[in-house]
Amino acid sequence: MRNGTAGTEPVPANYPAIRHRTQAETCGRKGDRMKMTKRHSRKYRKITGIALCAAMAAGLLAGCGGTGTENSGNTGAPGGESGVPGAAAESGASSSSGGAAAAGEGTAKDSVVVVMGPTSEPESGFDPAYGWGAGEHVHEPLIQSTLTVTTADLEIAYDLATDMKVSEDGLTWTVDIRDGVAFTDGEPLTAEDVAFTYNTLRDTSSVNDFTMLKEAVAVDGDTVEFHMNRPYSIWPYTMAIVGIVPEHAYGPDYGQHPVGSGRYMLKQWDKGQQVILEANPDYYGEAPKMKQVTILFMEEDAAFAAVMAGQADLAYTAASYGDLTVDGYNLLAFETVDNRGFNLPAIPAGSTDENGVPLGNDFTCDVNVRRAINLAIDREEMIQNVLNGYGTAAYSICDKMPWYNEAAQVTYDPEQAARLLDEAGWVMGANGIREKDGAKAEFTLMYSAGDSVRQALSEDTANQLRELGIDVTVEGVGWDVAYDRAQSTPMLWGWGAHTPMELYNIYHTAPGGTYAQYSPYFNETVDQYMDEALASSSLEESYELWKKAQWDGETGVTADGDIPWIWLVNIDHLYWSREGLKVAEQKLHPHGHGWSIVNNVDQWSWE
Amino acid sequence: MKIRNRRQRMAVLMAVSLFLLVLVTAAGWAFGETASATDFSRKNLAPCLSYPFGTDFMGRDMLLRTVAGLSSSIRLGILTAAVSAVIAFILGLAAAVLGKAADGVISGMIDLVMGIPHILLLILISYACGKGFWGVVVGISLTHWTSLARLIRGEVLQLKESNYVKIAARLGHGKLKVAFFHMTPHLLPQLVTGLVLMFPHAILHEASITFLGFGLPPEEPAIGIILSESMKYLVMGKWWLALFPGLLLAGVVLLFHFLGEGLLLLLDPENAHR
Repeated sequence: MRNGTAGTEPVPANYPAIRHRTQAETCGRKGDRMKMTKRHSRKYRKITGIALCAAMAAGLLAGCGGTGTENSGNTGAPGGESGVPGAAAESGASSSSGGAAAAGEGTAKDSVVVVMGPTSEPESGFDPAYGWGAGEHVHEPLIQSTLTVTTADLEIAYDLATDMKVSEDGLTWTVDIRDGVAFTDGEPLTAEDVAFTYNTLRDTSSVNDFTMLKEAVAVDGDTVEFHMNRPYSIWPYTMAIVGIVPEHAYGPDYGQHPVGSGRYMLKQWDKGQQVILEANPDYYGEAPKMKQVTILFMEEDAAFAAVMAGQADLAYTAASYGDLTVDGYNLLAFETVDNRGFNLPAIPAGSTDENGVPLGNDFTCDVNVRRAINLAIDREEMIQNVLNGYGTAAYSICDKMPWYNEAAQVTYDPEQAARLLDEAGWVMGANGIREKDGAKAEFTLMYSAGDSVRQALSEDTANQLRELGIDVTVEGVGWDVAYDRAQSTPMLWGWGAHTPMELYNIYHTAPGGTYAQYSPYFNETVDQYMDEALASSSLEESYELWKKAQWDGETGVTADGDIPWIWLVNIDHLYWSREGLKVAEQKLHPHGHGWSIVNNVDQWSWE
Repeated sequence: MKIRNRRQRMAVLMAVSLFLLVLVTAAGWAFGETASATDFSRKNLAPCLSYPFGTDFMGRDMLLRTVAGLSSSIRLGILTAAVSAVIAFILGLAAAVLGKAADGVISGMIDLVMGIPHILLLILISYACGKGFWGVVVGISLTHWTSLARLIRGEVLQLKESNYVKIAARLGHGKLKVAFFHMTPHLLPQLVTGLVLMFPHAILHEASITFLGFGLPPEEPAIGIILSESMKYLVMGKWWLALFPGLLLAGVVLLFHFLGEGLLLLLDPENAHR
């Protein structure tokens, strides 16, 4: 091409750099041409830029689209090509919804796609030492098996154990272990593995209290002895959440590559997206009906979108979605002990703990104030308004558990509440807020910022208590400051676990401390009952003592007692469930709207 | 009144903008309490006659909440823009007047602050100050002064070469006196315009940092809070939670923009003949 035509000819964007140079060389001497070339070379550069951008954008789009389609194919195919190394790696990059789409459509009726919240993904993997199954949110570990299990009514039954004895002084537990159980790598599960598991957890567990265990000893191949530092009658409840790990295959990366003897094996884990579990073909118990369980981690709104798109078989949801309907899906509601309640510091303000954290609250330290607040809460109204009807009234941290004392139950009685406050000297002031000696009846109620259900419960509490003449200010706080501030300011919490230790954690004086751990409170009698309950030699006997710790007829932590915590509601766990999926009967879910639902996924089926 | 030229048109537009902004601010101030009042018997209502903007999941009136949010945004915007402008003015003047060393340091600071993405710096400062109202005020104030400071500095450098300043210096006036008595009157138009044009930035940044969760606390009526809350409910078809607050935020920003442009037109001597 000659210089003369260079300016007018449309230039293919691919060769601008070369062309520029040629032009500069060939028409360098002529001023006007020079100008033209310069102008045009600028234009070329611009065109090049645009072309490059377009190419990059196209590349990106193509890349994304390509991997997307490819992967949904990979993940979805029943049986799974993940045996091929490439496939597994690639689907790691797939969007979880893409993977879900194909899996959901799968014709095979022995797989299920479950959606949980992003916080349900175990951060440190599937290692019981770092909270898998045994953390803040308890559930059955699925990949590992446990010595005991909790039954539908939250009593204890056996899994790996065949027999269990405790010595008179409560300091030695002897557990016989089932024969013929093997880990999924073929090695047999022995008493050594059990002892190793417990000793490891005692030394390394970051989330569980194992201070009561001195040592676990394998007496012979199928008997293990637990030597305790102090009597701990509810040890079987601990045994129900500790998955047994193999001594020979345990290491720092066990959480990423767990080997267990449970109903399922970890087949694939794409962090931040999904976990795929596959049935253990050599499981010693009844063979799982669901051969493959895919668990996706999504935010609430994304989970709902996945349901609307038909990409999930079962997806968690919240009460605020309860008035919607989705074709082809049912809304399942499971009762829980996932309670919400707030603490009322039971000592006057003024003191601090050893770290300088202020303790106590001058308004809530009055027991009549606390009793009045408890009576003035209309729990049914709260359930209808805040939870759209999906909840049950809560009167304790352990409603409906075998160790729950029904004396905790109260009926909504605003008149009696007002009388209590009047008697205590809190009389109605001018603007509808009660006063006593110039002090106003007011407190701040904190909730963890970002949790809309807790926010709404707090606001509703504030509305209800305002009618009683108490001015409640609601404040959202982060967990970084919540624990310290709750020592002097009421805070809305969520609790609920399948162990009486919850009672101990909330009401018993903290080990080495003066008051209970989360909110200053102290009652010697209550402490004593709980200590006795832990020291008792049978579970049945301990249940009675746990009940007495709540209310023994004279003192306790319930409505007529010290009532240092007000319990509001148990929140139903809601799920969208594809029509035809039969979810097996659930035991009362504990706190944490996550793995509990798949506790018995092996018994689910399609019809 | 017959509008004869662009300056007059601009004046009318400015007056209307100012009136609307004052109205919103005052209304928000007056209804601040009721804006956060919850009433669960009227939750999740779509826009209707009694609640033109609908209500949210706790039965808060979205119209009141939006106005209260805008009002607090405007107040916060005025405060932060004023602080930023003062910082910019002092540093800009100092850079130009106090000699080479000071100029180097201040120009370096300007480059440094400008070099870090605004929102990142904003989050860092706000978080370090414990979030909340003052976190946002300090954060926005400390990040928005740079371009105005650079402008003032350039202007002062120009003024320094003008005869009357040179004469003032020869007459023995100190540097500060020259700066404040002889230069400042010339800088005011730039400063005022810059200040007003900073409002929209400040307001948008307040909304975005609050949206991200590093700004105002969640129980406060703030546009950022309203918008971030609404994200969860959009999938349920509750469009009114985001649409109206978003539109009004854009509207307020636009009003401030008109105000600033108008000021520029009226104060700039170059435009006097129009």
